[in-house]
Amino acid sequence: MADVTESKITEEHRAMIGRKSDPIEVVPRTADAHRMRDLLNDTDPRWADETGIAPPYILAMLEPRLPAELSPQVLSSGILTQTEWKFAQPIKLEEPLQAVTQLIDVRDRLGGRYGYSVLVMFQTSYMNSDGEEAAASLRTITQFDRPQS
Amino acid sequence: MSQRYFEDIAPDEELEPREQLPTEDKAIEFFGRDNPTNPAFGDAEAGRRMGFGGALVPGLLKLSWITNYVGSWAGSEANLRSVRVAFRRPDIAGKALVLAGRVVDKRQEDGCNIVELEVVTLADDQPSVRGNVQVEIPSRP
Repeated sequence: MADVTESKITEEHRAMIGRKSDPIEVVPRTADAHRMRDLLNDTDPRWADETGIAPPYILAMLEPRLPAELSPQVLSSGILTQTEWKFAQPIKLEEPLQAVTQLIDVRDRLGGRYGYSVLVMFQTSYMNSDGEEAAASLRTITQFDRPQS
Repeated sequence: MSQRYFEDIAPDEELEPREQLPTEDKAIEFFGRDNPTNPAFGDAEAGRRMGFGGALVPGLLKLSWITNYVGSWAGSEANLRSVRVAFRRPDIAGKALVLAGRVVDKRQEDGCNIVELEVVTLADDQPSVRGNVQVEIPSRP
């Protein structure tokens, strides 16, 4: 694999930083919470059936697909390499949330185990009906070029 | 589920390791069998075609296990603030994973008791996911 010493990130790619998606309505469903709790053997009383509160990992069901119009395609392939979940408030079951995704950074990674790669970072904010952020997720996609066989 | 209190937690305290067996069935069930956007990580043949030797375990299932692991340790009066993970290596369904963790910091911040932990999932003693978790833990009454 040839070493890449110059960035392949263009001004057009950088100009996409800060762009936001339209809000998408997502609903934390009781049935999903129930199924996930059972699968994880989670007996925490805070999100037992009668509480109306979702376990924090309900975010796994809510994560919207990353919008193509926000995703700079610097290299040909990409995989999810980092995720962060932040919680500001309990997530209520069946209460719709507005999910807004934003491209927050595009960065080179020169060298490393897989050679040149590009880190593309997105943040999704989950806003409740009062307009407050209930939770957020940050996802990092590492883009790379597949070696030719 | 027992409750942890801030005063009783020491830096370097280790969490009791917990073993999980990620089966193909669990991967499919986690996202819902009737979910049209189920990423179908349970497809062993597709995993083999990609050179992984079997069905991949979804990262979000491992992240959920970590969230639950720390939540169980901290107790139901604690509040999870954040969990951040790096997916280092793929895990293959059918191979046991061990969750392990330790306290790396405790401090008071804006009147809240904050405890930070490092958590890993280990497959064949090698870390496949590394994570940092921040949790707010109550003082002893």
